Amino acid sequence: NTHRSVEPPSERPGERRQAEMKRLYGASAAKIQAMEAAVQLNFNKHCDRKRPKYWPVIPLKF
Amino acid sequence: EAPETQESPRLGESLECQEQRARAVQRERYLRSLLAMGGRQVSFTLHEGVRVTACFGAADLDVANFYVSQLQTPIGVQAEALLRCSDIIAYTFKP
Amino acid sequence: MNEWMKKTPLEWQDYIYKEVRVTASEKKEYKGWVLTTDPVSASIVLVNFLEDGSMSVTGVMGHAVQTVETVSDGDRRVREKLMHLFMSGDCQAYSP
Repeated sequence: NTHRSVEPPSERPGERRQAEMKRLYGASAAKIQAMEAAVQLNFNKHCDRKRPKYWPVIPLKF
Repeated sequence: EAPETQESPRLGESLECQEQRARAVQRERYLRSLLAMGGRQVSFTLHEGVRVTACFGAADLDVANFYVSQLQTPIGVQAEALLRCSDIIAYTFKP
Repeated sequence: MNEWMKKTPLEWQDYIYKEVRVTASEKKEYKGWVLTTDPVSASIVLVNFLEDGSMSVTGVMGHAVQTVETVSDGDRRVREKLMHLFMSGDCQAYSP
């Protein structure tokens, strides 16, 4: 990339995601983001502990 | 805050706002249905005519996987497993 | 991407509380009352009322949905039951 900038990134991480959530869910964006975080956290908690393997090993459908 | 249940358009609401509100109501209901599946016995219909049952654990929103335990497969029981959402046609449980 | 996945939230909304027949991949067919369609995956969640008074919930993955056909419009009783399903949990926890 020849146009590599030395400027600091204009967006902070998460800012783009938040704008996207606002565009999709309007006034309910924060609520939906919190619910999604709760669902994902629950998944991570299970998987960090149990390290499950895929079943079946090879996907049935690509 | 009460859960959104109103589906009819509100007076003077822009189309964008109506769509955002509809999307939020439907997303919230779906996420709540996933949370309600936790700990329940779920039967899955997979592609290629494969049917399995398992105890539902949790859903991974980013990668689209379901974490389950006590997965009863045609060839035995796997204590912990990840099902790919792309392998699944449908799932059924009793709330 | 199938036709069902391309619909907008307002189009999916029209199916809520209605009884539908969903045809899915590999000639699978599902019937039930629509609770919601996930706007991210287009997965559709159907509820069936069983004879013993209990309910069963079926999710058909968005990628597997082929057609969705309305069988009947919901009445007030169905609407009341579906409206409160899964809503009893702590709402405060998700409020900003």
